[in-house]
Amino acid sequence: MPLPEKQPTVLLIDDSVEILRLLEVRLRADNVHLITTTNGLDGLRIATERRPALILLDLDMPMMDGFEVLRELKDNASTANIPVIVISGSADTVDKVAGFDLGAVDYVCKPFNMPELRARMRSALRIHQLMQLLAQRAQIDGLTGLWNRAYFDDRLAEEVAGHRRTKRPFSLVMCDLDLFKSLNDTHGHPAGDAALQGFATQMLSVLRKEDVACRYGGEEFALILRETDATQACALVERLRVMLESTRWALHPERTITASFGVCDFALGDPALPENWLKNADNAMYYAKKHGRNKVHNAADTEPNAPLAKAG
Amino acid sequence: MPKPDAKASPIRSDFADDADMAELIAMFVGEMPNRISAITECYEEQRLTELQTLAHQLKGSGSGYGFEPVSQIAAQLESALKSHVELEAMRNEVESLIDICGRLSC
Repeated sequence: MPLPEKQPTVLLIDDSVEILRLLEVRLRADNVHLITTTNGLDGLRIATERRPALILLDLDMPMMDGFEVLRELKDNASTANIPVIVISGSADTVDKVAGFDLGAVDYVCKPFNMPELRARMRSALRIHQLMQLLAQRAQIDGLTGLWNRAYFDDRLAEEVAGHRRTKRPFSLVMCDLDLFKSLNDTHGHPAGDAALQGFATQMLSVLRKEDVACRYGGEEFALILRETDATQACALVERLRVMLESTRWALHPERTITASFGVCDFALGDPALPENWLKNADNAMYYAKKHGRNKVHNAADTEPNAPLAKAG
Repeated sequence: MPKPDAKASPIRSDFADDADMAELIAMFVGEMPNRISAITECYEEQRLTELQTLAHQLKGSGSGYGFEPVSQIAAQLESALKSHVELEAMRNEVESLIDICGRLSC
């Protein structure tokens, strides 16, 4: 999960070199990483590549009009959510309204009062941080801190599409805590919650940072292991299985908790459809459940239509 | 256009004692002779659009560098240019701007 930026990047677009120099000196104390350019087109390119936390945009530029730059920024999905403070020599209400309606979060007139500009900049950066936090929170499962299902579905779709384009391997793991209902019935919901949280933490300790772990349902989890085939995935997930099984739980030291895991690196049917991957992993998980629980099952071992193993 | 008289009360920047600003102010002041020439030329050759740009730039930067009067006079000149005042009628503003710019010191 990405942390809030320690030193946010601020992009300044102003045709006046004097203003840029001035701002570079004056904004040093605010712990921001400044990028400056005198050119609107260049500014657009930088915004797309570097995704700054804030853009200060001069409206009165001779080459590419500031309003045009603002419009372009808001039209482009990758830069549309970057807050923009417009700076203008015009105090005309018409221009202010135009700036705000095009999407600017603030409007500052030149010559500006430096402490005021800095305060407005800090305010816009706070807003940006809150927006990022909100976006994250909306995709995170509150109890376990893992991604939620909506986020997972997006990532899986991406991974499936990537696999289709470049044949890059990935494994999908569906896993389920064994006898979860019985755990809750016997030891209450605090035990159930502790189990979910504990399992999630162990999961994260075993996965790499490019992997995706999500709470898919009540006691169900889904993992995407990138650049990993099913054999490797099974080995990785086996470590998790053992870790979970060997845990002693404070609320019920005499009772262990286990999980069943289904692993696959191919789809059942058309591989372009994420649901066909999920079906395969799910089937594998149910196989593990039906055959004793507390185990890891590779779909390739039972799927009659499994693709041939790669040579070597 | 009369030449600016630098011996008449030099104007120090409001931020003259700010160590961070010293170099910047020096650069700004150092660019003034070029600015003055440009303003003079544009006025005499009636290149009003360029003159307006020069006024606009000075308006925007003057007070940031601690030279409030520069921003004020430049704003007046820009305003006059925007309202298409006659050339002769804006002579005062132009002369004042040149005078001020000539007296800036670190």
